[in-house]
Amino acid sequence: MDWDKIVQLLVNGVTLGSVYALVALGFSMVYGILKLLNLAHGDVLMVGAFIGWGILGWLGGAQDPSVAVWLLLVLMVLAAMAGCGVLGVAIERFAYRPLRRAPRIAPLISALGVSFFIQNTVLLLYGANFRSYDTVDLVDVEVGIHWGPLNVWVIRLVVIGAALVMMVALWLLVTRTRLGKAMRATAFDREAAAMMGIDVDRVIVKTFFIGSALAGAAGVLVGLVFGQINHFMGFNYGLKGFTAAVVGGIGSIPGAMFGGLFIGLADAFSVGYIEDFTRGRLGSAFSDLVLFLILIVFMLVRPQGIFGKPEVKKV
Amino acid sequence: MRRGLIAAAIAVLASAAVVTAAVAKTSEPAGLAKADCTSSTLGFMGPLTGPAGFLGQEQLSWLRFGVLRYNTASGTKFKVAPGDTQLKSPVALTVGRKFAADDNIWAIIGVSESQGNVVTGNLFEKNDLVMVSGSATRTTLTTPGRPYKTFFRVVPNDSVQGPTIVKYVSGNLKAKNVVVIDSQDDYSVPLAQGVTRGLRARGAKVARESVSADDTDFSSIVANVESNVTVVVFATQVASAANTLSNQLREQGKKAIVFGTDGAYSPSQFKPKSGYVSVFGPDLHFDPAARKLVREYNTYSKNRPFGSFGPATYMAGLVAMTAITKACADGEADRAEITKAVGGTNIPSIIGKNITFTRSGDVKGVDFLIYRVTNGKYSPVG
Repeated sequence: MDWDKIVQLLVNGVTLGSVYALVALGFSMVYGILKLLNLAHGDVLMVGAFIGWGILGWLGGAQDPSVAVWLLLVLMVLAAMAGCGVLGVAIERFAYRPLRRAPRIAPLISALGVSFFIQNTVLLLYGANFRSYDTVDLVDVEVGIHWGPLNVWVIRLVVIGAALVMMVALWLLVTRTRLGKAMRATAFDREAAAMMGIDVDRVIVKTFFIGSALAGAAGVLVGLVFGQINHFMGFNYGLKGFTAAVVGGIGSIPGAMFGGLFIGLADAFSVGYIEDFTRGRLGSAFSDLVLFLILIVFMLVRPQGIFGKPEVKKV
Repeated sequence: MRRGLIAAAIAVLASAAVVTAAVAKTSEPAGLAKADCTSSTLGFMGPLTGPAGFLGQEQLSWLRFGVLRYNTASGTKFKVAPGDTQLKSPVALTVGRKFAADDNIWAIIGVSESQGNVVTGNLFEKNDLVMVSGSATRTTLTTPGRPYKTFFRVVPNDSVQGPTIVKYVSGNLKAKNVVVIDSQDDYSVPLAQGVTRGLRARGAKVARESVSADDTDFSSIVANVESNVTVVVFATQVASAANTLSNQLREQGKKAIVFGTDGAYSPSQFKPKSGYVSVFGPDLHFDPAARKLVREYNTYSKNRPFGSFGPATYMAGLVAMTAITKACADGEADRAEITKAVGGTNIPSIIGKNITFTRSGDVKGVDFLIYRVTNGKYSPVG
């Protein structure tokens, strides 16, 4: 057994999983309250990546930053979170709220439209060339943990750590604050929550803000660790984040976190071992086949996901 | 109900008429009315946006520069019409149809990417429209049997690039364990297969991997690279992907270096700590004889960075303009005459020997070159 490879794939999987978890949280939060699949969520991640890139350039770039590296990273993430939070609120206000009483297909189509709108707006503003964070100029790839088979770039540690902090903060918000209580009540029964005096519209707006802020942060983390961003990157992360949310149990916050980690590890290990398992018939290019087979199996065997509850229909 | 049926029938007939007209126009053979020889348009086809957009932009810039110089020297009024293929075959076909139907376009400069030529080659041949590419290297564009009769290229093809890489990796780098990666397109797959065969024939152990052209994370692929692998040959058209691969190899403590194919040649995007790249033409920055031209281009482009792709496309444009001027010597010309004139080209080149073509459309006597990259700095080594 090649332990070097397994350890490295674990590191890769946890890095990817951290990003997918942040994206999945946004999907789950919105679905939990509105029963709506926000298909534009991946593009919000992309906008976050571009905001982070813009802040990086504004503060001198990776080659010659005008502030300390740690401060630069914090500012990039905060700016992306703020910007994407506002974007999320705008999307809810103009694309979803008018369709709350419409058939469920209508907001889904609206979400698709928003997705294309965001992609093409970024294309128009920034052009289609890949943009680079040049993170290697900020912190060389050899800076990090090198211990036996474990090789972890310090930026990966930052990504995993930042994602963990955000997930814990979200969990505390949802379980220990009044807003969190209101969000849970609205998710449980919107009408009843309104009757109890909860301002449901305000709760929904805040949910979109938080979910989109997390996606924005994920965008910056992706740019930092993988270096390149472009206007169509949101599709892939959105799809895998959605898969993570479904596998974990859409509407469930612990489920989104677990689902993200699970899909990240599955992604990494399928690339690493698909050729061995299929005796050379399928190469690493087919790793997505494995991922989406997992999704199909979950839909057939446990459609509510690992942490989700079966939907109860009142007769 | 009846009105609805009548309306539906009219709609179907109208749609059929539109489709028929569109198809008819593009399949109408060329040999159109004689050209206005004093001003004609070169249609540039390449990726102006997308992952290889920076390459297409470089090519277009050099083409425009070449047209300006030629017009100034000859008193002609050539123009350039840009067509963005986005590195996608369906888009290339759409652009190709538009250009084929445009009577003002007398030559195609491109298509930059090999897969774009595969989908448009027959279309342009049917329309007698000559194609002169400054970067498409796929071998089967010209062999066997000259599949696209109006296609020419000013750069050598992969039947030269593959063996050049094999010879260097095996002979100079003495690599015994190699990984070859393709990016699942018409350019990279045959090239990767050729390199793999060549290296195995020389006794090297070669593992194959494949990534998507859009991939930005190769860390799990890198985990598959064994510790005794010394070279990873990456056939890609996205130089920044080669850069990311190189960084992730170092991140995971692998000693393998990246050897990029010509699509990876970009001093601004592929700047590893240590690596190699092959390219079809010399980088003019290293050529003392090209200093004046480089200074002129830098003034024209306001110091826009460039590699080898731009100058090759400059030559492709020069070939086309020279042929059109020759065909127009009697005051008029058509597309078929221009194609014939391109075939008889013999002009000095800024990227090597004189440009002359074989019967299959390949340029004669030009080799691929190897550059070593150290801390982002390029130097010719082979």
